[in-house]
Amino acid sequence: MELLRRWWKPIALLTLLAYPWIYRAPYYHLLGFNVLLFAMMATSWNIMGGYTGYKSLGHSAFYGLGAYLVAVAANELGWNPLVSAPFLAVIVALVAVLLGWIMLRTSGSAFVISTIAMLLIFRLVALNLREITKGAPGLSQPLPPWSPEFSRMPFYYYILFWLLIALFISWYIRRSRFGLGLVAIRDDEGKAEMVGVNTTLYKVLAFGISAYFVALGGGVWSYFTSHISPVFAFDIIVGVDMILMTMLGGLGTLWGPVLGAFILVPAGDFILFTFGSNTIYLAIIGGLMMLVIIFMPRGILPTIAEWIENRRAPRIAHEGAHSMAEMYDQSKGKTVAEDESSHERTASH
Amino acid sequence: MSELLHTDRVSRRFGGIQAVKDCNVSVQTGSITGLIGPNGSGKTTLFNLITGVYIPDEGEIFFEGKKITNLPPSKICHQGLSRTFQITRLFWEMTVLENMIVPIRQVGFRSLLGPNMFRYEIDRAMGLLERVGLTHLKDEPARKLSFGQQKLLEFAAILMADPIMVMLDEPAGGVNPTMIRFIMKLIQDLNREGVTFLVVEHNMGVVMELCDHMIVLDQGTKLAEGPPAVIQINPAVLDAYLGT
Repeated sequence: MELLRRWWKPIALLTLLAYPWIYRAPYYHLLGFNVLLFAMMATSWNIMGGYTGYKSLGHSAFYGLGAYLVAVAANELGWNPLVSAPFLAVIVALVAVLLGWIMLRTSGSAFVISTIAMLLIFRLVALNLREITKGAPGLSQPLPPWSPEFSRMPFYYYILFWLLIALFISWYIRRSRFGLGLVAIRDDEGKAEMVGVNTTLYKVLAFGISAYFVALGGGVWSYFTSHISPVFAFDIIVGVDMILMTMLGGLGTLWGPVLGAFILVPAGDFILFTFGSNTIYLAIIGGLMMLVIIFMPRGILPTIAEWIENRRAPRIAHEGAHSMAEMYDQSKGKTVAEDESSHERTASH
Repeated sequence: MSELLHTDRVSRRFGGIQAVKDCNVSVQTGSITGLIGPNGSGKTTLFNLITGVYIPDEGEIFFEGKKITNLPPSKICHQGLSRTFQITRLFWEMTVLENMIVPIRQVGFRSLLGPNMFRYEIDRAMGLLERVGLTHLKDEPARKLSFGQQKLLEFAAILMADPIMVMLDEPAGGVNPTMIRFIMKLIQDLNREGVTFLVVEHNMGVVMELCDHMIVLDQGTKLAEGPPAVIQINPAVLDAYLGT
């Protein structure tokens, strides 16, 4: 057990590095790319949705914006997408900071709705700004110069590299003063503000950072598929997938989003192959998520951590502390609607 | 003595209710000032106005001679004005030590990116926890603490921001007599170390013993003020409390 704890990271990394050489069929490269792409984007979303507690349903807007920026830059200016994506994602992050500055005046369900509205606006703009986006038919990019059977491997390693960067940023934020402030905002925003945390600044920065890797993912994806259209680039399902993965693995944990992506992406493919239709895939994933929410509301990793902790030793120091903790858990139903009402309560009291 | 905090004709209305009306309150440097009044007299609203939770409809608020009327709460905290809540508010999922580290007076961009706890901050936090007797619980999540311990933690945590003035909303509310004595002792000790207090409290025994100056609110305005002994026998105050 101790050995596993010590070595699992290098082992996992070596496995991931070796994977495309072991499973050489193009499908496995596609699957690997998708898993890593979503692991990176879910990690990024988690910085806002998990650490800070502001759950954006509109992160696909940054995904699509990243995709279009990279595609347009490749077509018009001849920029290599893999080089330009990390830089163009900075622009998207700045856009997110600007929009976040407006949207983050709301909280709870109002914030969620405003992010959906943002996504729909982006999609409308992409559909109608025909000069740049070519409208509904979409935009094509030149294919990568590598030979076709080899072509997915560079993407795989490229996104693996950026997943590691995203994980590092996520880890770094979590252990920084900034991250402590974000978690404080999630726990009690009014109180955080009252003890000197500049909550607006923290939230807006977190929103920008969480948009960055999603935009980068969109940019790489646009080169990978070589053809993008508004319907797929600004698809709400992409954002929903990030959220489901994070919630499955463990909201607000470092490895939760990665674990979620490693489970849900292959599971989605499996269901797709077994049952064929796309809508069935959504229904089954939805049912699965409901089971998770009922039996493991905090996600896999926190639940496992709790088991281990409970098995080690009962560590209750005080009489009554347990029942108080339970009361607290009950009073925090964790739904968006209740979050909203509790927020109002604290604001008005 | 000089004036540390004062409100100048502050008013705030919620719909049809005039919660605070033309309220002039001042707190002297180094004092323990009590703020009392019947339920609904606007004590907590006044607290919220001073700490920036609400913006007053009219009037200005000055702290250390500087206007703080429209500042956001975090900026007011940075100025050195901290508060506790009537119903204890902590970061429930965080550990006791983390709860201590969050409150900060001023943070530069560099330290924002630094580790979440610096050695000297931990030392300082542990010193304060020692004072309230919570050192052994430093790694427990705040939600597992007993009610009294949570109150002490909230109090200790705001001291991390090194406040010039502390506003306490019912520090003795719902805690046992031993704990009340402990909290009173703590307030007096801190006061001797130079912290000014403004205390809302319903327990008259506590207020009379603790405060050197008292302000009575009724229906959103100041009804009377003066030393406890004088307030105690003020007919208008008795009237407001007992009704006629």
